[in-house]
Amino acid sequence: MKKGVILAAAGLLVLGLAGVGPARAAAITIGAQVPTSGSEAPYGIDMLNAIRMAAGEINAKGGVLGEKISILPGDAACDPQAAVNAASKLVSQGVTGVVGGYCSGATLPTLKVYGDAHVPFVITASNSTELIGANPGNAFMINSTGFDQVKTAVNLFKARGIKTLAIINEGDAYSANLAELTRTAWEKLGNKVVDYEVVSKGQQDFSPVVTRIRQRNPQAVFWTAYYADGALLIKQLRQGGYAGMIALGDGNNSPKLFQLAGAAAEGVFCFSNPTANFLPEAKTFIENYQKQFHQPPGPYSALSYDGMMLLAHAITVAGSTDRMKIIAALKQTDNFPGISGPVSFTPKNTLARSNFVVLLGKSGQWTLYTGPGAPGGK
Amino acid sequence: MPLYEVLLQQLANGLILGSFYALVALGYSMVYGVIKLLNFAHGDLYMVGAFAGFGALSLISGWAGGGWGGIVPAILFSMLAVGVLGVIIDRVAYRPLREAPKLSVLITALAVSMLLENVALAFTGGQYTAFTTSLGFAGINLGMVHVTWTQMVLVGTSVVLMVVLELFVSGTRHGKAMRAIAIDQDACRLMGIDVDRTIALTFLIGSALAAAAGVLAGVYYGSINFFMGFLIGLKAFTAAVIGGIGSIPGAMLGGILLGLLEAFGTQIPGVGSEWKDVFVFAFLILFLVFRPTGLLGQPEVERM
Repeated sequence: MKKGVILAAAGLLVLGLAGVGPARAAAITIGAQVPTSGSEAPYGIDMLNAIRMAAGEINAKGGVLGEKISILPGDAACDPQAAVNAASKLVSQGVTGVVGGYCSGATLPTLKVYGDAHVPFVITASNSTELIGANPGNAFMINSTGFDQVKTAVNLFKARGIKTLAIINEGDAYSANLAELTRTAWEKLGNKVVDYEVVSKGQQDFSPVVTRIRQRNPQAVFWTAYYADGALLIKQLRQGGYAGMIALGDGNNSPKLFQLAGAAAEGVFCFSNPTANFLPEAKTFIENYQKQFHQPPGPYSALSYDGMMLLAHAITVAGSTDRMKIIAALKQTDNFPGISGPVSFTPKNTLARSNFVVLLGKSGQWTLYTGPGAPGGK
Repeated sequence: MPLYEVLLQQLANGLILGSFYALVALGYSMVYGVIKLLNFAHGDLYMVGAFAGFGALSLISGWAGGGWGGIVPAILFSMLAVGVLGVIIDRVAYRPLREAPKLSVLITALAVSMLLENVALAFTGGQYTAFTTSLGFAGINLGMVHVTWTQMVLVGTSVVLMVVLELFVSGTRHGKAMRAIAIDQDACRLMGIDVDRTIALTFLIGSALAAAAGVLAGVYYGSINFFMGFLIGLKAFTAAVIGGIGSIPGAMLGGILLGLLEAFGTQIPGVGSEWKDVFVFAFLILFLVFRPTGLLGQPEVERM
């Protein structure tokens, strides 16, 4: 009896050791670093679905270099600490590359983890400009960065005759970065930022800030953090009697915003990377996604799908799973045909063009805004 | 908006915010007053209360409507459910440790807090839930100052609950027993007071108040999530300390004061809201340096 227990324990130990040893699996494993828990989990799960779908399509066509791709999710939880843990785990599991990255604040510290291990990392959503400088050279951003968003925002404000602006952020890497960049760009034009506020994440009551905004009376309010708190802010701004323009950063492109903010979200603007439903090339993608997951794709699904496809393409071009060769292949990307548009990189590994669009809240959903100040128009 | 109206509006904002803090602070203060335990799970009971209220309202809003007709029963249900939960937590997690060192109970309280948070996370998948009611923005306008009926009902409800609690603790036999236990548990036992039952009652009332605050917050802000109890738990603890932990009127005063500090802190000339929490907590430190027992706290006499 006792012997049996010891044998079983020894067996488990051997199995355990085999599990943590250097992974040399036959299949190509790709890490998917997305938040699958916490407040941003809905976005993360959308991204993971899209990455899995892309891998499935690649495998159906015979895989890459004759190998099947398998996806290993790593939960970044929109939290720097959790993200670093997830990244270290992916690296120790021997992934060939990583796709994903949602919250910039969480993605930022993982750059070093992947950099030290020379793991190619295709970032599909995070777009804080702080990522550019921190990039050790192995990361590639296929979402437009904060610089492009600021340009889009400033153009819209100008075209709508805005002179005075209030900017509100949550003090995290993503929202503070976007707020700072907007302030600098706006003041460079000779305009005024009459109010600059920082609120705490999860603080439900914004009434003191709302009162201050009504006192300063800006023509537009720009919220640069995420939708969950953004919905409360919009509601309290309207409830408090603020009637000016409200614009939101790209962390707010969620249908959930309309559930949480209700009628207050009508007429609100939101800057966003192109959501699948506004992309002509993404028609089959939407249909397949809907069929597979029984829900419409989220705002970052199309980019995540492209990210997986791009990485697979780079592995094919590199002709091996050598990580350095894959990084070199990614660097050479020239107009890769993604469903979100062609992908090429600047010398700093950021997307060579701006993909931002402006959305307008109308009858409880986001619609593409094509009025004055919309990108691509006059 | 002229300055006096701004200040008046901030006064209203501060009172509303403060009444939430006060309701949650009361539970903190009561439990501390009676068994000298900082119940860190208290903020999470507020969160559980919000979800219980949400569940109840979703069930009955079909026939009771999404207005006060549905909200009031939802609040009562949530208070009862969370009150019972508070008693269960005390029975399972705190009562077996009654004679243990204070630090053990404190750690247990932290564990209970994380347990509640993560159970809620698992149930909600981390999603923010929209707490939809049919309450509008209508209210009273004084110049540009706007106070909605909902806000007035919120403050009114908090004040009524606090007054009832104070009357209960100062005027009834159960209240007397609570105060006696705060002074000396062993003497109470010798005098025939059922100490465990009285402590359970303290948890029942404290948790029910947190639940009421949670549902009111859900109704007022329209959005609830598994993490909503964390920040308010910290703030309410601060409020309880400012007011003098263990004192019921102190918890009320502390809550209102903290709410006002936050509202007017945003208004300090030359700095933005970035500095608001710096001022609030710097004030707290200074205050405690000069008055460590808080506004209405009794200086503790060390008994050996």
